[in-house]
Amino acid sequence: MSASTALRLDRVRKDYGSTTAVQELNLEVAAGTLVALLGPSGCGKTTTLRMVAGFETPTSGRVLIGDQDVTPLPPNRRNLGMVFQNYSLFPHRTVAENIAFGLRMAGRSRAEQEVAVTRMLDLVRLEGRGDMYPRQLSGGQQQRVALARSLVLNPRVLLLDEPLGALDKALRESMQFEIRETQQRLGITTLLVTHDQEEAMTMSDQIAVMNGGRVLQLGAPTEIYDRPKTRFVAEFLGTSNIFTGRAESTGREIIADGMVITLPETVPVGSEVCLSIRPERVRIGPEADGLANRIQGHLSGAVFRGAYAAYHLDIGPDRRQLFAYQQSHGPHGTLRYGAGVDCWLGWATEDSVIVTVD
Amino acid sequence: MARANASRFRFNPPGWFLLLPAVLFLIAFFVLPLVDDGLRSIRADDGSLTLARYVAILSDRFYLGVIVETVALSSAVTVICVLIGYPVAYHLVRRAGCWSALIVFLLIAPLLTSIIMRTFGWQVLFARRGLINTLLVQDLGLLEQPLRILNTPGLAIAALVHVLVPFMVLSIAAVLQGIDQRLEEGAQVLGASRWRTFVEITLPLSLDGIGTGAILVFMIANGSFVTLALLGGGFQTLPLFIFQQFNTTRDFGMASTMSTVLLVIAMACLYLQLRLVRRQGI
Repeated sequence: MSASTALRLDRVRKDYGSTTAVQELNLEVAAGTLVALLGPSGCGKTTTLRMVAGFETPTSGRVLIGDQDVTPLPPNRRNLGMVFQNYSLFPHRTVAENIAFGLRMAGRSRAEQEVAVTRMLDLVRLEGRGDMYPRQLSGGQQQRVALARSLVLNPRVLLLDEPLGALDKALRESMQFEIRETQQRLGITTLLVTHDQEEAMTMSDQIAVMNGGRVLQLGAPTEIYDRPKTRFVAEFLGTSNIFTGRAESTGREIIADGMVITLPETVPVGSEVCLSIRPERVRIGPEADGLANRIQGHLSGAVFRGAYAAYHLDIGPDRRQLFAYQQSHGPHGTLRYGAGVDCWLGWATEDSVIVTVD
Repeated sequence: MARANASRFRFNPPGWFLLLPAVLFLIAFFVLPLVDDGLRSIRADDGSLTLARYVAILSDRFYLGVIVETVALSSAVTVICVLIGYPVAYHLVRRAGCWSALIVFLLIAPLLTSIIMRTFGWQVLFARRGLINTLLVQDLGLLEQPLRILNTPGLAIAALVHVLVPFMVLSIAAVLQGIDQRLEEGAQVLGASRWRTFVEITLPLSLDGIGTGAILVFMIANGSFVTLALLGGGFQTLPLFIFQQFNTTRDFGMASTMSTVLLVIAMACLYLQLRLVRRQGI
């Protein structure tokens, strides 16, 4: 185990009766970094977080914080910070009392509590709100109080359980940057649980994509997005066009949906291949000229989405659907192509990624 | 067309109309008797108005003792109900899981039996020649003499608690149910032990339920007559005296006065308890 690993899950497993929520999960979080557990509901991400927090006991495996095995410790002896989806601020306590709670439990002096509370209120830009009750604050402010409360004890690891799930979209985005900024400034090791891929991409150093109780892929956001290893990862993060087929003749081609498609690399002849192409990598019209994969298609739908245009195309003899995104050009509100026309489309082989079928 | 006709004949009452039956019922069977009762307590035998009976009750050491005993008994029953009811409610909400429905049923089932039947049950169990004594003296031969349990203060209190504890459990459980468990988890992550979490978070947030339960139990205990009349226990409470004034002494004026005093005590306690609960202001 490297010296800079602040949190480590060692073959952690959790069974509920005969169902397995988390299977043999290994994860290392480097000190000062933020790792997101990203996956659909029921993928085991929340159970994993709750095992780190100590609310659930692993069926087998160990949870290590720093060099200490905390698996047998109750939540109150792990020195963690945690922000919940609904913030779970104590409604019968003022903002200051909420923030001071951890200090009070730790038996710190009243003077020390006051100093720390003032410092934390400053940190989350809620100066002078100490005497208010949580219900008097807006959602974003409550969220900040929850963050301040969880950070006041300088926890070894900060746990964020869908921390922005209850906020509206605009506020969510600004809070994503705000939390990330605070996390980096304090250099606090953080584990984030989310089902929102944008949130994971915005906030994390590393993303662990989970499904079926396993980590399918761990990597930096760009890596996960551009080089997905499995079909699930490719489709869960963003949108993907997936082609599946058997490798033919030279091992550089597959036949999928009645089309010959060139692969980015050579594979054993006869093997089943699953190929993923991001919609924004698909080029339409003259841009597709000279590409290895160049296909005639019919534009069945065109949607203006502000920053980009989304096209639905029918391609090949089976008329399968393909998504293509293009940066918006020209005056606002215009699309370069209208629905109902035939056009050429294509993509560079290096823009496609071979993924495994999970 | 059919639609238009229907709406023309539709009966469209104002909002208060729906309250009318309940209001009429309350006026006829609650407000008017109360007014009658109050008037009776201040009307002298010759028809003139007098406060003599109140003066008599509130200046007489014996009657004051009865009042104190009534309130003390009700308070004791309330406190015992909280102590017994809270753990049951907590277990019901937080631990019982699939058994919670059964526990709720077991709590409510006794309420389906009349209070008189339940009180007689205690007599059957604990009378001189009741089930327990027969078992101890005759069948097992553990004792020479049957125990004197009936007509002891302890049994009367136990019977009152038995009757009233479901109200406490259900009041507390309803509030506990509404407390987000993540509040407790949040406290634990911040270093609070289970006990500290309970004292700092769960208990303060469930005071409302304790308050509601306490008011219910206290009120019913304050006015309880059947249990004390049947199981005795040597208690001399206002309801027993009211009954006595009506049936034995046939002094309706005095009975009315005591009823009014009992009512005022109940209202005063209700007010105090509401204020105590409100003070926590959640």
